[in-house]
Amino acid sequence: MMPQTEGNLFALVPLLLFMALMLAIGVWVRRGRGFGEDFVQQYFIGNRRLGGFVLAMTTVATYSSVSSFVGGPGMAWKVGFGWIYMAVVQVTAIFLVLGIFGKRVAMLSRRFDAVTVVDIIRERFESNGLAMLAALVIVLFFCGTMTAQFVGGARLFAAATGYSYEMGLLLFGLVVVLYTSIGGFRAVALTDTCCALMMMVGIVVLLYYVLAAGGGYQAILSGLHAEHPELFEPLSAGKMPLGLYFTQWLLVGICTIALPQSVVRGISYKDTHSLHRAMLIGTVVVGFMNIGVNFTGILAHGVLDGPEASYGSVDNIIPLTIARAVPPELVGLAIIGPLAASISTISGLLIVASSAIVKDVYLAHMRAQGRTVKAVHLSRLSVVTTAALGVLVFALALTPPSLIWIINMFAFGGLETAFFWMLLLGLYWRGANRLGALLSMAGGTVAYCAAQAAGFKLMGLHQITIGITVSLVLFLLGARLGRPTSAAVLQVFFPGARGEEKG
Amino acid sequence: MTREEKYRQVRREAGATGVLLALIILFWCAAGFGLAGVPVFVFGLPLWAVMGTVGVWLFAIVGVYVLVHGWFADMSLEDEEQTRGGDAR
Repeated sequence: MMPQTEGNLFALVPLLLFMALMLAIGVWVRRGRGFGEDFVQQYFIGNRRLGGFVLAMTTVATYSSVSSFVGGPGMAWKVGFGWIYMAVVQVTAIFLVLGIFGKRVAMLSRRFDAVTVVDIIRERFESNGLAMLAALVIVLFFCGTMTAQFVGGARLFAAATGYSYEMGLLLFGLVVVLYTSIGGFRAVALTDTCCALMMMVGIVVLLYYVLAAGGGYQAILSGLHAEHPELFEPLSAGKMPLGLYFTQWLLVGICTIALPQSVVRGISYKDTHSLHRAMLIGTVVVGFMNIGVNFTGILAHGVLDGPEASYGSVDNIIPLTIARAVPPELVGLAIIGPLAASISTISGLLIVASSAIVKDVYLAHMRAQGRTVKAVHLSRLSVVTTAALGVLVFALALTPPSLIWIINMFAFGGLETAFFWMLLLGLYWRGANRLGALLSMAGGTVAYCAAQAAGFKLMGLHQITIGITVSLVLFLLGARLGRPTSAAVLQVFFPGARGEEKG
Repeated sequence: MTREEKYRQVRREAGATGVLLALIILFWCAAGFGLAGVPVFVFGLPLWAVMGTVGVWLFAIVGVYVLVHGWFADMSLEDEEQTRGGDAR
């Protein structure tokens, strides 16, 4: 595509400034804090210093992806208020993960000096093999998701500004890889906070211009009532089946509590007061974003009132709306929101994937062999691993192989299937044991992916229902057949309970 | 708090979080599907479309406020017995 006018170059200024700010944060964190004594703690978990506001913002920003800002509101444009009604189930995501796992994970990680969710899994189930498998699942699915986030962001950039896909990728892709590699988790958390704020600003800016371009709220709504009455029905004349509501409660609501990139945030905050605040702030922010962005999607009918086919796919609705409704000099500002959603998810996944390789695989292997790793060595290795992973994903996004789309399609539900019962039962049920966890993670994930690949559905429901059911059944089976967890581990994870039995 | 007391408290908090989830699901069903046929409009939108979205959001905010102020307790995240006993790891 040809670059449009010279005014368009000017429109990139806010975007360039934003990216420069992100980079500056990455460098500042490194310099200002000085990654001293315990590098792994500093780099991968920010030394457990996050306060409530930053904890809330980083959890929300990592959770809200580019699809929340592009594909989601595109669907709202098509389906109507049923789509917001469905999306609003995500207001439960933040308080659930922090309320159920937040304190448990925080205390256990302090006891074991853990910096990853996998560390805790290793201690709970006394198994290096299980930990390695968990790390592999994380790295594989995260790479698929990160690539998709890069592609989504770059496509939006190209469609809204008229510049090329590759240029968009270069612009924000390299920046996110750089600041994550340099600054580690603390840079991720702070940039996530800026990103979350910009997402909200972006929603407000877009909403404002959509209302203006559509002739005002009343005019858009009366047009919708006349032309598309089905948008005001929960089932949207069949476009929003009941089963979809049910599975979305599982997929983007309840089961998200097990996503490793969310749970790891339970290791990162400083005290319980911060956690409590984050639960409240996170719920406010996630609701504002979901309702705001999808409502804007519906109102975009005031800008784009043709049939769906004339716009290609619903994914094009938001980029086209930005291009048509927002004045050219503000396009750069309007696309910061969705791009911020994209880079904040990438950074959050990148640092966790890197920690899985460095901490869960490499360091665990060295420790098992009884070898120690020098601090200088470790810090270089961590930075290089993060950068290498980032560059790999960046390269994949330039010409995404079809395998990446398959992995991405499996990723969200696959991660939930793999970790949901393992974490929930592992941390709250004494009977959970190694065999159960292993069967549940391996068997459940395979069943989920196979069902996805074959397009097999039970009663027309999303495959997450199959994954999560198989995973539970296998867990209970393994718990029955396998050896129970050793008394020493149970004493650590479930203090007191054993003492009562002994009298 | 001893480790045992903390564990019991955290369990209680997780349970209360689950109860709040159940309440939100009930509210969500009632506010959306439950009000779907009601011919009342707010800001030009059918009542269910407001209650099922903004209503659920506000309900969740109030719910979380009550949850963290009524059920959640402040506690040290350090492992008490570890610091007392002094043997690391």
